[in-house]
Amino acid sequence: MLLRASGQQDERDYDLNTVTRGEGDSGVPHSDLLRSLTEQTIRAEWSLLADTRARAGTIMGEQQMVDALTVAAAFNGITRVADATGIPLDDNTQAVTVAMRASMGIDEYAYAVKSARFS
Amino acid sequence: MYDDSPLLRDALKAAHATSWAELARPGAFLTGAQRLAAVSATRAAADCALCARQRGALSPFTVTGTHDSSVEDTTGPTLGASLVDMIHRLSTDPGRLTRAWFDEAIAAGISVETYVELVSLVTTSVIVDTLHRSLGLALPDLPEPIAGNPTGEKNPDPVDNGAWLPVLAAAQDLAESGLPTVPNIVRAMGLVPSAVTLFFRTFRPHYQLKDIKLAISQAQAEFIAARVSSLNECFY
Repeated sequence: MLLRASGQQDERDYDLNTVTRGEGDSGVPHSDLLRSLTEQTIRAEWSLLADTRARAGTIMGEQQMVDALTVAAAFNGITRVADATGIPLDDNTQAVTVAMRASMGIDEYAYAVKSARFS
Repeated sequence: MYDDSPLLRDALKAAHATSWAELARPGAFLTGAQRLAAVSATRAAADCALCARQRGALSPFTVTGTHDSSVEDTTGPTLGASLVDMIHRLSTDPGRLTRAWFDEAIAAGISVETYVELVSLVTTSVIVDTLHRSLGLALPDLPEPIAGNPTGEKNPDPVDNGAWLPVLAAAQDLAESGLPTVPNIVRAMGLVPSAVTLFFRTFRPHYQLKDIKLAISQAQAEFIAARVSSLNECFY
Protein backbone atom coordinates (compact mmCIF):
# COMPACT_ATOMS: atom_id res chain seq x y z
CA MET A 1 0.00 0.00 0.00
CA LEU A 2 2.82 2.39 0.83
CA LEU A 3 4.52 1.83 -2.53
CA ARG A 4 1.24 2.62 -4.23
CA ALA A 5 0.95 5.75 -2.08
CA SER A 6 4.46 6.76 -3.10
CA GLY A 7 3.45 6.37 -6.73
CA GLN A 8 0.50 8.67 -6.20
CA GLN A 9 2.75 11.16 -4.46
CA ASP A 10 5.27 11.02 -7.31
CA GLU A 11 2.50 10.95 -9.93
CA ARG A 12 3.93 7.66 -11.18
CA ASP A 13 2.19 4.36 -11.74
CA TYR A 14 4.52 1.78 -10.24
CA ASP A 15 3.97 -1.84 -11.23
CA LEU A 16 3.24 -3.40 -7.85
CA ASN A 17 3.12 -6.92 -9.29
CA THR A 18 6.88 -6.81 -9.83
CA VAL A 19 7.26 -6.90 -6.07
CA THR A 20 5.72 -10.34 -5.64
CA ARG A 21 6.84 -11.62 -9.07
CA GLY A 22 10.44 -10.76 -8.31
CA GLU A 23 11.15 -9.60 -11.84
CA GLY A 24 10.24 -6.88 -14.29
CA ASP A 25 10.51 -3.12 -14.32
CA SER A 26 8.54 -1.63 -11.45
CA GLY A 27 9.13 1.92 -12.61
CA VAL A 28 11.02 2.68 -9.41
CA PRO A 29 14.48 4.02 -10.28
CA HIS A 30 17.21 1.34 -10.10
CA SER A 31 14.65 -1.29 -9.13
CA ASP A 32 16.76 -4.11 -10.59
CA LEU A 33 19.68 -3.19 -8.37
CA LEU A 34 17.44 -2.61 -5.38
CA ARG A 35 15.85 -6.00 -5.95
CA SER A 36 19.26 -7.73 -6.12
CA LEU A 37 20.51 -5.99 -2.99
CA THR A 38 17.33 -6.90 -1.14
CA GLU A 39 17.01 -10.49 -2.29
CA GLN A 40 20.65 -11.33 -1.65
CA THR A 41 20.42 -9.80 1.81
CA ILE A 42 17.28 -11.66 2.81
CA ARG A 43 18.53 -14.92 1.30
CA ALA A 44 21.91 -14.48 3.04
CA GLU A 45 23.79 -14.72 -0.26
CA TRP A 46 26.72 -12.78 1.10
CA SER A 47 29.26 -13.57 -1.63
CA LEU A 48 26.88 -12.52 -4.38
CA LEU A 49 25.95 -9.47 -2.38
CA ALA A 50 29.56 -8.31 -2.20
CA ASP A 51 29.61 -8.07 -6.00
CA THR A 52 26.21 -6.41 -6.12
CA ARG A 53 27.30 -3.84 -3.53
CA ALA A 54 30.25 -2.89 -5.71
CA ARG A 55 28.07 -2.60 -8.82
CA ALA A 56 25.36 -0.66 -6.99
CA GLY A 57 27.92 1.69 -5.47
CA THR A 58 29.18 2.54 -8.94
CA ILE A 59 25.79 2.94 -10.59
CA MET A 60 23.62 4.36 -7.80
CA GLY A 61 26.26 5.82 -5.54
CA GLU A 62 27.72 4.49 -2.31
CA GLN A 63 25.33 6.34 -0.01
CA GLN A 64 22.27 5.12 -1.89
CA MET A 65 23.59 1.57 -1.80
CA VAL A 66 24.16 1.71 1.95
CA ASP A 67 20.75 3.27 2.55
CA ALA A 68 19.06 0.56 0.50
CA LEU A 69 20.68 -2.10 2.66
CA THR A 70 19.67 -0.14 5.74
CA VAL A 71 16.01 -0.37 4.76
CA ALA A 72 16.28 -4.06 3.87
CA ALA A 73 17.80 -4.88 7.27
CA ALA A 74 15.04 -3.03 9.08
CA PHE A 75 12.26 -4.87 7.30
CA ASN A 76 13.98 -8.21 7.84
CA GLY A 77 13.32 -7.51 11.50
CA ILE A 78 9.91 -5.90 11.46
CA THR A 79 8.31 -8.54 9.25
CA ARG A 80 9.18 -11.03 11.99
CA VAL A 81 7.38 -8.90 14.57
CA ALA A 82 4.24 -9.09 12.45
CA ASP A 83 4.62 -12.81 11.72
CA ALA A 84 5.29 -13.66 15.37
CA THR A 85 2.25 -11.81 16.68
CA GLY A 86 -0.31 -12.41 13.94
CA ILE A 87 -1.38 -8.80 13.97
CA PRO A 88 -4.26 -7.92 11.64
CA LEU A 89 -3.98 -5.33 8.93
CA ASP A 90 -4.88 -1.84 10.03
CA ASP A 91 -8.55 -1.18 9.27
CA ASN A 92 -7.98 1.35 6.50
CA THR A 93 -5.34 -0.81 4.86
CA GLN A 94 -7.69 -3.76 5.02
CA ALA A 95 -10.39 -1.73 3.34
CA VAL A 96 -8.44 -0.13 0.51
CA THR A 97 -6.22 -3.06 -0.51
CA VAL A 98 -8.80 -5.77 -1.18
CA ALA A 99 -8.28 -5.87 -4.95
CA MET A 100 -4.52 -5.33 -4.73
CA ARG A 101 -4.03 -8.16 -2.22
CA ALA A 102 -6.02 -10.53 -4.37
CA SER A 103 -4.27 -9.67 -7.63
CA MET A 104 -0.78 -9.82 -6.10
CA GLY A 105 -1.37 -13.05 -4.20
CA ILE A 106 -0.81 -11.38 -0.84
CA ASP A 107 -3.92 -12.98 0.64
CA GLU A 108 -2.03 -16.28 0.52
CA TYR A 109 0.15 -14.89 3.30
CA ALA A 110 -2.82 -14.14 5.59
CA TYR A 111 -2.22 -15.63 9.01
CA ALA A 112 -5.45 -17.60 8.98
CA VAL A 113 -4.57 -19.04 5.57
CA LYS A 114 -1.05 -19.97 6.64
CA SER A 115 -2.31 -21.44 9.90
CA ALA A 116 -4.67 -23.70 7.98
CA ARG A 117 -2.00 -24.67 5.46
CA PHE A 118 0.88 -25.46 7.80
CA SER A 119 -0.75 -26.70 11.01
CA MET B 1 30.08 -0.63 16.46
CA TYR B 2 30.24 0.55 12.82
CA ASP B 3 33.51 2.42 13.43
CA ASP B 4 34.57 1.87 9.80
CA SER B 5 31.21 2.70 8.24
CA PRO B 6 31.16 6.45 7.57
CA LEU B 7 28.11 6.17 5.30
CA LEU B 8 25.87 4.97 8.12
CA ARG B 9 24.16 7.83 9.84
CA ASP B 10 25.17 8.84 13.36
CA ALA B 11 21.65 8.46 14.73
CA LEU B 12 21.52 4.85 13.56
CA LYS B 13 24.94 4.08 15.01
CA ALA B 14 23.98 5.60 18.36
CA ALA B 15 20.64 3.79 18.48
CA HIS B 16 22.19 0.43 17.69
CA ALA B 17 24.93 0.91 20.27
CA THR B 18 22.33 1.72 22.92
CA SER B 19 20.17 -1.27 22.00
CA TRP B 20 23.16 -3.59 21.91
CA ALA B 21 24.18 -2.58 25.42
CA GLU B 22 20.59 -3.01 26.58
CA LEU B 23 20.57 -6.65 25.51
CA ALA B 24 22.86 -7.40 28.43
CA ARG B 25 20.65 -5.85 31.10
CA PRO B 26 17.89 -7.67 32.92
CA GLY B 27 14.70 -7.30 30.93
CA ALA B 28 11.08 -7.48 31.98
CA PHE B 29 10.91 -11.28 32.15
CA LEU B 30 14.39 -12.54 31.28
CA THR B 31 17.77 -12.03 32.93
CA GLY B 32 20.61 -10.36 31.09
CA ALA B 33 22.29 -13.73 30.57
CA GLN B 34 19.09 -15.23 29.18
CA ARG B 35 18.60 -12.29 26.84
CA LEU B 36 22.11 -12.69 25.47
CA ALA B 37 21.54 -16.43 25.12
CA ALA B 38 18.50 -15.60 23.01
CA VAL B 39 20.60 -13.44 20.72
CA SER B 40 23.23 -16.14 20.54
CA ALA B 41 20.55 -18.70 19.61
CA THR B 42 19.29 -16.34 16.90
CA ARG B 43 22.77 -16.33 15.39
CA ALA B 44 23.12 -20.10 15.70
CA ALA B 45 19.85 -20.57 13.82
CA ALA B 46 21.41 -19.29 10.60
CA ASP B 47 23.51 -22.47 10.30
CA CYS B 48 21.19 -24.90 12.08
CA ALA B 49 20.73 -28.22 10.26
CA LEU B 50 17.28 -28.84 11.75
CA CYS B 51 16.11 -25.40 10.67
CA ALA B 52 17.34 -26.15 7.14
CA ARG B 53 15.34 -29.39 7.07
CA GLN B 54 12.25 -27.64 8.40
CA ARG B 55 12.53 -24.95 5.76
CA GLY B 56 12.69 -27.65 3.09
CA ALA B 57 9.56 -29.39 4.31
CA LEU B 58 6.05 -28.66 3.01
CA SER B 59 5.08 -27.92 6.60
CA PRO B 60 7.80 -26.90 9.07
CA PHE B 61 5.93 -28.64 11.86
CA THR B 62 6.34 -32.12 10.37
CA VAL B 63 10.10 -32.09 11.04
CA THR B 64 11.27 -32.36 14.64
CA GLY B 65 14.63 -32.77 16.34
CA THR B 66 17.22 -30.81 18.23
CA HIS B 67 18.42 -27.42 17.07
CA ASP B 68 22.12 -26.73 16.72
CA SER B 69 23.56 -24.59 19.48
CA SER B 70 26.24 -21.97 19.39
CA VAL B 71 29.27 -22.07 21.66
CA GLU B 72 27.57 -19.49 23.86
CA ASP B 73 24.46 -21.67 24.13
CA THR B 74 26.40 -24.67 25.34
CA THR B 75 28.58 -22.85 27.83
CA GLY B 76 26.17 -20.20 29.02
CA PRO B 77 22.70 -20.12 30.55
CA THR B 78 20.18 -22.55 29.18
CA LEU B 79 16.97 -21.26 27.71
CA GLY B 80 15.35 -24.66 27.44
CA ALA B 81 14.40 -26.53 24.30
CA SER B 82 11.01 -24.83 23.90
CA LEU B 83 12.42 -21.32 23.90
CA VAL B 84 15.29 -22.31 21.61
CA ASP B 85 12.82 -23.86 19.17
CA MET B 86 10.76 -20.69 19.26
CA ILE B 87 13.81 -18.54 18.58
CA HIS B 88 15.03 -20.71 15.72
CA ARG B 89 11.64 -20.82 13.98
CA LEU B 90 11.23 -17.08 14.34
CA SER B 91 14.74 -16.55 13.00
CA THR B 92 14.72 -18.87 10.00
CA ASP B 93 11.11 -19.47 8.93
CA PRO B 94 8.97 -16.61 10.22
CA GLY B 95 6.58 -16.66 7.30
CA ARG B 96 5.24 -20.06 8.27
CA LEU B 97 4.54 -19.47 11.96
CA THR B 98 0.94 -20.27 12.82
CA ARG B 99 -1.63 -19.46 15.44
CA ALA B 100 -1.74 -23.12 16.45
CA TRP B 101 2.02 -23.16 16.99
CA PHE B 102 1.81 -20.03 19.14
CA ASP B 103 -1.11 -21.39 21.17
CA GLU B 104 0.72 -24.68 21.78
CA ALA B 105 3.82 -22.86 22.98
CA ILE B 106 1.82 -20.81 25.43
CA ALA B 107 -0.15 -23.85 26.60
CA ALA B 108 3.15 -25.63 27.22
CA GLY B 109 4.07 -23.01 29.78
CA ILE B 110 5.86 -20.13 28.07
CA SER B 111 4.27 -16.91 29.28
CA VAL B 112 3.00 -14.52 26.65
CA GLU B 113 5.10 -11.79 28.23
CA THR B 114 8.28 -13.86 27.90
CA TYR B 115 7.33 -14.61 24.30
CA VAL B 116 6.98 -10.91 23.54
CA GLU B 117 10.35 -10.15 25.09
CA LEU B 118 11.91 -12.90 22.99
CA VAL B 119 10.32 -11.56 19.82
CA SER B 120 11.82 -8.16 20.55
CA LEU B 121 15.27 -9.62 21.22
CA VAL B 122 15.27 -11.80 18.12
CA THR B 123 14.00 -9.09 15.80
CA THR B 124 16.33 -6.45 17.19
CA SER B 125 19.34 -8.69 16.72
CA VAL B 126 18.13 -9.66 13.25
CA ILE B 127 18.19 -6.00 12.24
CA VAL B 128 21.65 -5.37 13.67
CA ASP B 129 23.17 -8.58 12.32
CA THR B 130 21.50 -8.26 8.91
CA LEU B 131 22.91 -4.78 8.51
CA HIS B 132 26.39 -5.92 9.51
CA ARG B 133 26.36 -8.92 7.18
CA SER B 134 24.89 -7.01 4.27
CA LEU B 135 27.62 -4.38 4.53
CA GLY B 136 30.32 -7.05 4.78
CA LEU B 137 31.11 -6.22 8.40
CA ALA B 138 32.03 -8.70 11.14
CA LEU B 139 29.19 -9.28 13.58
CA PRO B 140 29.52 -7.30 16.82
CA ASP B 141 30.59 -9.21 19.90
CA LEU B 142 27.92 -9.76 22.51
CA PRO B 143 28.32 -7.65 25.65
CA GLU B 144 28.91 -9.19 29.05
CA PRO B 145 25.66 -9.91 30.91
CA ILE B 146 24.68 -7.60 33.73
CA ALA B 147 23.44 -9.31 36.86
CA GLY B 148 20.03 -8.63 38.31
CA ASN B 149 16.46 -9.80 38.31
CA PRO B 150 13.89 -9.10 35.60
CA THR B 151 11.68 -6.14 36.37
CA GLY B 152 8.37 -7.88 35.70
CA GLU B 153 7.07 -4.70 34.10
CA LYS B 154 4.15 -5.20 31.77
CA ASN B 155 1.29 -3.24 30.34
CA PRO B 156 -1.64 -3.59 32.77
CA ASP B 157 -4.28 -2.73 30.19
CA PRO B 158 -3.64 -4.48 26.89
CA VAL B 159 -6.49 -5.11 24.46
CA ASP B 160 -7.53 -7.78 21.97
CA ASN B 161 -7.41 -6.46 18.40
CA GLY B 162 -7.48 -9.83 16.67
CA ALA B 163 -3.76 -10.54 17.00
CA TRP B 164 -2.53 -13.77 18.56
CA LEU B 165 -1.78 -11.92 21.79
CA PRO B 166 -2.95 -8.85 23.69
CA VAL B 167 -1.65 -5.58 22.25
CA LEU B 168 -1.29 -1.93 23.16
CA ALA B 169 -4.55 0.03 23.32
CA ALA B 170 -4.40 2.99 20.95
CA ALA B 171 -6.70 5.38 19.14
CA GLN B 172 -7.18 4.60 15.46
CA ASP B 173 -7.04 8.14 14.05
CA LEU B 174 -5.63 8.13 10.55
CA ALA B 175 -2.38 9.90 9.72
CA GLU B 176 -1.59 11.35 6.30
CA SER B 177 0.00 8.05 5.29
CA GLY B 178 -3.39 6.33 5.48
CA LEU B 179 -2.21 4.32 8.46
CA PRO B 180 -3.40 4.95 12.01
CA THR B 181 -1.20 7.26 14.04
CA VAL B 182 -0.30 4.14 16.04
CA PRO B 183 -0.33 1.30 13.49
CA ASN B 184 -0.92 -2.28 14.58
CA ILE B 185 2.75 -3.11 14.07
CA VAL B 186 3.64 -0.61 16.80
CA ARG B 187 0.93 -2.05 19.06
CA ALA B 188 1.97 -5.67 18.51
CA MET B 189 4.50 -5.99 21.36
CA GLY B 190 2.67 -3.50 23.58
CA LEU B 191 2.14 -6.09 26.30
CA VAL B 192 5.78 -5.48 27.33
CA PRO B 193 6.71 -1.80 27.02
CA SER B 194 10.47 -2.40 27.18
CA ALA B 195 10.17 -4.79 24.23
CA VAL B 196 8.59 -2.02 22.16
CA THR B 197 11.26 0.46 23.19
CA LEU B 198 14.14 -1.87 22.35
CA PHE B 199 12.83 -2.81 18.93
CA PHE B 200 11.66 0.56 17.70
CA ARG B 201 14.72 2.40 18.97
CA THR B 202 16.68 0.08 16.70
CA PHE B 203 14.26 0.23 13.77
CA ARG B 204 13.36 3.92 13.56
CA PRO B 205 16.66 5.32 12.22
CA HIS B 206 16.31 2.94 9.26
CA TYR B 207 13.02 4.11 7.84
CA GLN B 208 10.26 6.71 8.02
CA LEU B 209 6.71 6.46 6.65
CA LYS B 210 7.07 9.80 4.86
CA ASP B 211 9.77 12.34 4.06
CA ILE B 212 12.37 9.64 4.44
CA LYS B 213 15.76 10.95 5.56
CA LEU B 214 17.86 8.75 3.32
CA ALA B 215 19.63 9.15 0.00
CA ILE B 216 17.08 6.87 -1.67
CA SER B 217 13.55 8.06 -2.40
CA GLN B 218 10.44 7.13 -0.47
CA ALA B 219 9.33 4.99 -3.41
CA GLN B 220 12.66 3.15 -3.50
CA ALA B 221 12.43 2.50 0.24
CA GLU B 222 8.86 1.21 -0.13
CA PHE B 223 9.93 -1.02 -3.01
CA ILE B 224 12.63 -2.59 -0.82
CA ALA B 225 10.25 -2.92 2.13
CA ALA B 226 7.61 -4.56 -0.03
CA ARG B 227 10.13 -6.95 -1.56
CA VAL B 228 11.37 -8.01 1.90
CA SER B 229 7.78 -8.57 3.00
CA SER B 230 7.16 -10.72 -0.06
CA LEU B 231 10.34 -12.76 0.42
CA ASN B 232 9.49 -13.33 4.07
CA GLU B 233 5.87 -14.06 3.14
CA CYS B 234 4.69 -11.45 5.61
CA PHE B 235 1.00 -10.58 5.35
CA TYR B 236 1.15 -7.30 7.25
